[in-house]
Amino acid sequence: MGLLSILRKLKSAPDQEVRILLLGLDNAGKTTLLKQLASEDITHITPTQGFNIKSVQAQGFKLNVWDIGGQRKIRPYWRNYFENTDILIYVIDSADRKRFEETGQELAELVDEEKLSGVPVLIFANKQDLLTAAPAAEIAEGLNLHTIRDRVWQIQSCSALTGEGVSDGMNWVCRNVNAKKK
Amino acid sequence: MLVQVCLYFYCKCLWRCLKFVVRKLTGRCELQRICYNIKPGAERTMKIETSLRSSKNKLLQNSTSVHPDAIEKTVDAIIELKKINPAVNPQLSVSLQACLLQIVGYRNLIAEVEKLRREPYDSEEVLHEEMLLKLWKCLKPDSPLEARISKQWCEIGFQGDDPKTDFRGMGLLGLYNLLYFAEHNGPAAQQILLDSLQPKYREITKEEISKYSKSEWEKKKFDKAIGYSFAIVGINITELAYNLLVSGALKTHFYNVAPEAPTLSHFQQTFCYLMHEFHKFWIEEDPLDIMEFNRVREKFHKRIIRQLQNPNMALCPHFAASESLINL
Repeated sequence: MGLLSILRKLKSAPDQEVRILLLGLDNAGKTTLLKQLASEDITHITPTQGFNIKSVQAQGFKLNVWDIGGQRKIRPYWRNYFENTDILIYVIDSADRKRFEETGQELAELVDEEKLSGVPVLIFANKQDLLTAAPAAEIAEGLNLHTIRDRVWQIQSCSALTGEGVSDGMNWVCRNVNAKKK
Repeated sequence: MLVQVCLYFYCKCLWRCLKFVVRKLTGRCELQRICYNIKPGAERTMKIETSLRSSKNKLLQNSTSVHPDAIEKTVDAIIELKKINPAVNPQLSVSLQACLLQIVGYRNLIAEVEKLRREPYDSEEVLHEEMLLKLWKCLKPDSPLEARISKQWCEIGFQGDDPKTDFRGMGLLGLYNLLYFAEHNGPAAQQILLDSLQPKYREITKEEISKYSKSEWEKKKFDKAIGYSFAIVGINITELAYNLLVSGALKTHFYNVAPEAPTLSHFQQTFCYLMHEFHKFWIEEDPLDIMEFNRVREKFHKRIIRQLQNPNMALCPHFAASESLINL
């Protein structure tokens, strides 16, 4: 095989496409996380009406990340995006303790969804840059994450604002892309 | 690449030679020619701006960023530098001054808007809180707010029970704009809020009735619920207006409507116009649901940019255009 054909083969080897769903309450930091993943400016963000989508290359994968608005009014639309999801990323505002119960409920409902059954879940305990942020372990306990047994899951503390912890979470995503339980 | 660089310098050289020859032939410099040949407005000011910016002379280059108070002196210096006799060309210094006021004013407006955008909403600040409560009063004059933290905020299109987390990257600018709209165009703002709260039903034409069976029609009709969140969309349109301003696209508009320096209220009027136009556009686009928001917004953004490429364009409000609102 000549060098040219090797090169051609390398070039044509398509990245595996991965569909990632980014959910969470409003003001959790989903869009900031999305922009951080795409290395875009995060200073002009406004509340998401509808959804945003971006494709990011990572470790031989083409991650198609769907960021759906978290406003209560929009949450009924979440289900329209469940189909064919490879990984669910759920974002929590770790400093908004008043809404831990609400966010826990939404997460529990997602885990119960038939269309998302077996889909690996990464929970980002976001906004760790704030002094008032609850540590990931506390959130895991409060949300009873240990009761999730039908899929692989992980909780990762991060700050979408500074980028800290984000790549650790995404490494986990890339490792578990094919871990969906049928 | 090299060819492009050579071509660039060749063109630049050619342009300078051409300017020199024309100057010798007409006895007028480029600034004079622009002022004499083009009527006041965006076209003239933008040409003057390009001419000054691309000049080799430091005085001309820096003239677009001087303090507004120094404009008169700068113009005098330019006229002296260009060896123009002010007695023969009395109109020139007035024209140049007007252009510079607009150019410098636009720069300063960007700085002013940016400052507001960078100031986050702070619920400890009395002024911020007062403005927020005033926004409620202007939009909902007949129903008082029961508590500062209340589900009622959703009625004017905030996401949750406390609007403070919704301003985000637009900071105070979003609140300033929304309040300006509600205060200065009260009836229009209230009407748009009312429309945005209601699901829109298609108007039935006779043709359509004959096309669908009754049950099909009923289904189609009630599938559609395309209300949007007024305040959130206002913050989003603030971002659109901010983008247009910073990218320079709004120069066309401001240079046409503001005879001197554009001010914050000019920017806020533009915001009101954009809100009104976006609402019309949303209805025309007839989206299936709110999830189409970003698609519609992108299309709207492109349309406005295209309109602003026309040097005669001005984004002028015509709020009386209520006939465009579909009767609910």
